[in-house]
Amino acid sequence: MRGKPVWSIGLIAMLMVGAGVAKAQVTVTAPASAAPADDGNWVMPAKNYASTRYSELDQINSQNVSGLRVEFTFSTGLVRGHEAAPLVADGTMYIVTPFPNYVFALDLTKPGAPVKWKYEPKPVSAAQGVACCDFVNRGAALADGRLFFNTLDNRTIALDAASGAELWKTSLGDINKGETMTMAPLVVKGKVLVGNSGGEFGVRGWLTALDAASGKIAWRAWHTGPDSDVLIGPDYQPFYDKEKGKDLGVATWPPNQWEIGGGTAWGWISYDPDVNLIYYGTANPGPWNPEQRPGDNKWTGGIFARNPDTGQARWFYQVVPHDLYDHDGINELILLDMPVGAPGDAPGNRQTRKVLVRPERNGYVYVIDRTSGEVLSADPFAYINSTAGVDLKTGDIHYVDAKQPVMGQVVRDICPTAPGAKDWNPSAFSPRTGLIYIPHMNVCMDWESQEANYIAGTPYVGANVRMFAGPGGNRGELSAWDPVKRAKAWSIKEDLPLWSGALATAGDVVFYGTMEGWFKAVDARSGAELWRFKAGSGIIGQPITYRGPDGRQYVAVLSGVGGWAGAVVAGDLDTRDPTAAKGFAGAVPDLKERTNKGGMLYVFALP
Amino acid sequence: MRRLSGSGVVVALVLLGGCQGVQSALDPAGDQAGGIAGLFWLFLGVLGAIYLLVLVLLVGALLGLRQRAATERRLTGLLTAWAGGTTIIILGLTAFSYGTDARITRLGDDAELTIEVTAKQFWWQVKYVEPQPSRSFETANEVYLPVGVPVRFILKSQDVIHSFWIPNLHGKTDLIPGRVNETSITARRAGVYRGQCAEFCGFQHAHMALDAVAVPAPEFEAWRESRLKPAPTPTPEDQLRSEGLQVFLTSPCVMCHTIRGTSASSRVGPDLTHVAGRRTIAAGALPYSRGNLGGWIVNPQSIKPGSQMPDIQLEPDQLQALLAYLDSLT
Amino acid sequence: MSSRCHDCVGVALALGLAVAMAALTASCEREERDTKAPPESQISVSSVALSPLQPGEASAPPGGSHRSIEENAFNLAQGKQLYTWFNCSGCHAHGGGDIGPALMDDQWLYGSEIENVYATIVQGRPNGMPSFRNRIPDQQVWQIAAYVRSMSGLTPATASPSRSDEMQNKPAEQSMPRQEPKDTHP
Repeated sequence: MRGKPVWSIGLIAMLMVGAGVAKAQVTVTAPASAAPADDGNWVMPAKNYASTRYSELDQINSQNVSGLRVEFTFSTGLVRGHEAAPLVADGTMYIVTPFPNYVFALDLTKPGAPVKWKYEPKPVSAAQGVACCDFVNRGAALADGRLFFNTLDNRTIALDAASGAELWKTSLGDINKGETMTMAPLVVKGKVLVGNSGGEFGVRGWLTALDAASGKIAWRAWHTGPDSDVLIGPDYQPFYDKEKGKDLGVATWPPNQWEIGGGTAWGWISYDPDVNLIYYGTANPGPWNPEQRPGDNKWTGGIFARNPDTGQARWFYQVVPHDLYDHDGINELILLDMPVGAPGDAPGNRQTRKVLVRPERNGYVYVIDRTSGEVLSADPFAYINSTAGVDLKTGDIHYVDAKQPVMGQVVRDICPTAPGAKDWNPSAFSPRTGLIYIPHMNVCMDWESQEANYIAGTPYVGANVRMFAGPGGNRGELSAWDPVKRAKAWSIKEDLPLWSGALATAGDVVFYGTMEGWFKAVDARSGAELWRFKAGSGIIGQPITYRGPDGRQYVAVLSGVGGWAGAVVAGDLDTRDPTAAKGFAGAVPDLKERTNKGGMLYVFALP
Repeated sequence: MRRLSGSGVVVALVLLGGCQGVQSALDPAGDQAGGIAGLFWLFLGVLGAIYLLVLVLLVGALLGLRQRAATERRLTGLLTAWAGGTTIIILGLTAFSYGTDARITRLGDDAELTIEVTAKQFWWQVKYVEPQPSRSFETANEVYLPVGVPVRFILKSQDVIHSFWIPNLHGKTDLIPGRVNETSITARRAGVYRGQCAEFCGFQHAHMALDAVAVPAPEFEAWRESRLKPAPTPTPEDQLRSEGLQVFLTSPCVMCHTIRGTSASSRVGPDLTHVAGRRTIAAGALPYSRGNLGGWIVNPQSIKPGSQMPDIQLEPDQLQALLAYLDSLT
Repeated sequence: MSSRCHDCVGVALALGLAVAMAALTASCEREERDTKAPPESQISVSSVALSPLQPGEASAPPGGSHRSIEENAFNLAQGKQLYTWFNCSGCHAHGGGDIGPALMDDQWLYGSEIENVYATIVQGRPNGMPSFRNRIPDQQVWQIAAYVRSMSGLTPATASPSRSDEMQNKPAEQSMPRQEPKDTHP
């Protein structure tokens, strides 16, 4: 941190603590070990192991954000969906692009941030044929002077962050089986954690830990199959009875179906150093047609807690047993220490517990004790008619009979839709307001199950889906959720679905982007829009903020519409067929008129 | 008269000879078919007797047998007796018919085994359903039934209306796309019976047969356990079969068929995990043998033109390897 | 004399009937079902052109000898069934596209003639289209290629499939307006 005397850090910290105390009611915090003090960098997409996506920088605040302007831009030269979060460490910014997964390092010390180095992993083009939801990449991870990222054709690559030299690359999957990799790795205690994608291709899901120095596989946990593959052993102590049993990854499937069962891990991982557990979710079971896979389909659609050193599972909670709607369980898990009780409980009657909070795909905000796996609450943050709540005693979710898919019949108006009330795009938490800022959707669907044929390397889905706006007509919403009160504090309705991440700052500003390209800053307390900027293409990336070499605060985001939501534009699809893009064409038939393809980095600052 | 009765006996014997057989509704081997056959014989007997009586009276009238002078009252009495008798017989037969139907329908109430049959053009997809999903398994064109155990059938169709009919065991129940029908069968006699699609469903409706095999319960359990196993992977020493598996996975076979234990898991065509253990192939079109299987693979359209299996072009040594592999899938 | 005239009338009637029957059955060609694979079904793919540019004087493109395939209703119906069975719909939806490009619009990356579509299916393409050579028999590939062309209204409406048996998505292939293929790929 150039230019600031050391004592001023302490003064700022004290002032911030004082400000925190003055806010009085807010007693929700992220654990300090998982959310250390902000050094002005952004070294992993989630910002920290607690996944708060919150920055303590407050140079840009709710009073002055209206003066924010573009400092520089950078064109990636590509026009598919840009879902990544740029990373910043010590004067260099790192961007991973969609296929062909270039890595750019931009020198922030020079005006205009010229390219310092560019790395081309040259993934095989045919991998594009087995990527379900555009050829996206959700970002890299920086640790110990190394940058780690995944390529679409299943390689994890480590580069020297300073020079861009390749340190190692490990091939982990096979596109002929329908496998790809799109997630951002997480580096924990010298291990690079990566997961595969391909639940729509009959891929058997896994999470693998690679040694950060050598790239060799340290352990791999499969998400279907016998206990020995799933790394379920003597340490495994789930909270609910339904997660207990022997070889459930085989017994809860028709014979041999677990081999093509899905449960990939293409989303977010959090880590609690105090209890030494990583937390992450598993994706949908395959195929989408549930009648082909009777049984609970363990270990898909749930949350694992594992020991990062050995991979052994500590607990598991299956959010959607026998998933009916492609509700992948891979969303972000925000680690919080907060008082837990019923909505009406007085503050004194609440117990502070170590929890993880997840705005889940099926429309509920889950608050789960992260030491035991007990669900403490599950409250809807969106309109739901397909389930009737979660039984906290047994952990079961109640599916509504009338909305269950039946082969050969069209079941109408299922809410939330297959990409859910919220898909992968992550929310942010502000300890100053105690609110979680959830960028999500309000979309419903018609669904017709069909027989799915597994042919390796081709989609294994078995459902015709057609989506449309949910009640109210707005297809997107940014909700500010109070996890203590278990209710929304405020929300902003958006016409288009929200597919970008959210960013919260100590300046009490929340940033997010819309699918037609508006990058917005809103007041973290009231939701009032403070500033907006129209980017060249829709925004589906994750905004970050950092302290530049000159000491100023910058906000950066990638624009370039695509992903599942923007496939209509990125793939130039035909919206006369509402089942295009697995139904999303029905939800956003107007997207082609609102935005075009693009691929641009925008970095903003105050003048 | 004597000549007539003599030839009548011969005709009756010939006709009765057709009652036996693997596809005869008059040779019931199960409770439901027994009920239907019983009803058949009852109707045949009663109505046959009435028919003969009417014939006799007609012949008598034609021959002009002497009639005594009929008084008004005698005629009324005769007619009343006739009408009353007819009514009683009709009501009785109706009651028997309804009663049998109700009884047969209720037979499935305490079913201990559930089999889901999905009809496709022109074969039967059969799934044995168990509460624990890993104990369910699929097969094609064959149903094995434990003797004496009520079995519930869940009937679905993938494309057009078919009809499920195993004459020795039960009557016909349609399989209608978009609808789930149910029927039940309780086999009483061990044996092999032939089922047949009984609703015109396309080109090869006539060759859409089903093997129904009733076996004692222990044998059924053994059969079930053997069907649950996935296909064995050929050992590396077994070169021909290994090559055959490779041929299977790299030719059109993998696009349509499932062999559990391999990466082939498509459901367009029948599950082949235990194809060599079946009595017939192609829904009863040919008895199973290696030669027949080879002929079917290479030229199905000359055996069952209009079936969905296309002619597959393979080199001769590829075909031999493939047959060696498939022949091992018992 | 009179009996000969009698024959004349009968013969004339029979002839007229025969002619009428022949005319009627000839128009049933679109319903003919050729279930056996034609003996020679491999075309030489090298005769397929992917660009209209020809140095020197432009000559007529090689004839569409397989045009008759797409004028047959059975082939188009089979193609539609195979399109779902072999997971084409998994990547191309019902013509709108998804992982793969839209097939119901006027943009054809690799040529729009049925021979081009056949070649695309059999050879695969670099950006993700799998190669189905030796996986889908030739006769089936032609049927699927014919169906793909029907998705943008390029096949005769009398042969194209009508209302789908599944959830209604796009207009039936029969009612798709004919979209002349464009050779524009930005």
